[in-house]
Amino acid sequence: VHLTAEEKALVTGLWGKVKVEEFGGEALGRLLVVYPWTQRFFDSFGDLSSADAVMGNPKVKAHGAKVLQSMGDGIKNLDNLKGTFSKLSELHCDKLHVDPENFRLLGNVLVCVLARHFGKDFTPAAQAAFQKVVAGVANALAAKYH
Amino acid sequence: MLSAQERAQVAQVWDLIAGHEAPFGAELLVRLFTVFPTTKTYFGHLGSCLDEVALLNHGQRMLMAVGVAVQYMDCLRAALAPLATMHAQMLRVDPANFALLSHCFQVVLASHLQDEFTVEMHAAWDKFLAEVAEVMSEQYR
Repeated sequence: VHLTAEEKALVTGLWGKVKVEEFGGEALGRLLVVYPWTQRFFDSFGDLSSADAVMGNPKVKAHGAKVLQSMGDGIKNLDNLKGTFSKLSELHCDKLHVDPENFRLLGNVLVCVLARHFGKDFTPAAQAAFQKVVAGVANALAAKYH
Repeated sequence: MLSAQERAQVAQVWDLIAGHEAPFGAELLVRLFTVFPTTKTYFGHLGSCLDEVALLNHGQRMLMAVGVAVQYMDCLRAALAPLATMHAQMLRVDPANFALLSHCFQVVLASHLQDEFTVEMHAAWDKFLAEVAEVMSEQYR
C-alpha cells in the first residue's frame, strides 16, 4: 500500500497511542454486535447472546488483541503487507474459511474505534491514511485465497 | 426493521445534531471526499473547488434530510419518496456510495460522541443508515 510521508507519520503517530489489547477487543466485539452474522466464525467462544455478553467475553477480548497485534505488524511493514500476511492469508483461506469481505468490515469497525478514542485528533486526513492501511491489510489477507 | 430500543438510540443522537446540521454535514462531506475521492465525481455542480460555504450548505441539506428520516423512522419510504425519486431520476448515485457515506457518518458520530458512541448506538446507526440507503436506491430500476 502506498502512503505519503505525511500519511505514514499520521499512522505511526496515532498507532503509538493505541492500546492494542483494549482497542482490539473492542473492535472485534463491535464487529460481532453490529454485524451479528460474523459470529458464525466464533461458535467456540461461548456467550455471545447480547451486546454486553460479547463486549465482556474474555475470548473475544483475547482474540481481538491478537488481531490488532497483527495489524501492528502490518503497520511496521507497510511496504510489504503481502509478505507480512502471507501465512495468515493461507490460514484464513484453507483452515478458517473466512470470506475476505469480513476483513473489510473489521477494518471499518477499527476505524470507528480509533475515531471514538481519538476524537478530534482523528482528522479526515488521519482517517484517510488509516483507511488505506486497513484496505491494504484486507487485500494482503485475501491475497493467498484460491 | 429497527427495534424500539434501536429507534430510541437513533433519536437520542439526533438531539445532539439537531441545530448543528451544517457543521456536521460539512465534516461528513470532507471525510467522504478525503477518504473516498471518487465520491467527488457526483458533486461537480458544487464547483470545482469545494469551498467551506458550499460544504456547509450542502452538508446542511444532507443532514436535514437525515433528520427527516429520523423523525419518520416508522414510514421511511413515504417520508423519503421525493428524495428517492430524485436519486433515481436525476442524481443516479451508484448505490455502493451509500455504504461509504454511512461509514463516514459513523466515523463523525464516533469522533464527536466518543464514550457515548456505545456499541448499541453503533449497531443502531449502522442499521438505520442501511435502511435509508435502501430506500434511496429503491426506485433505481
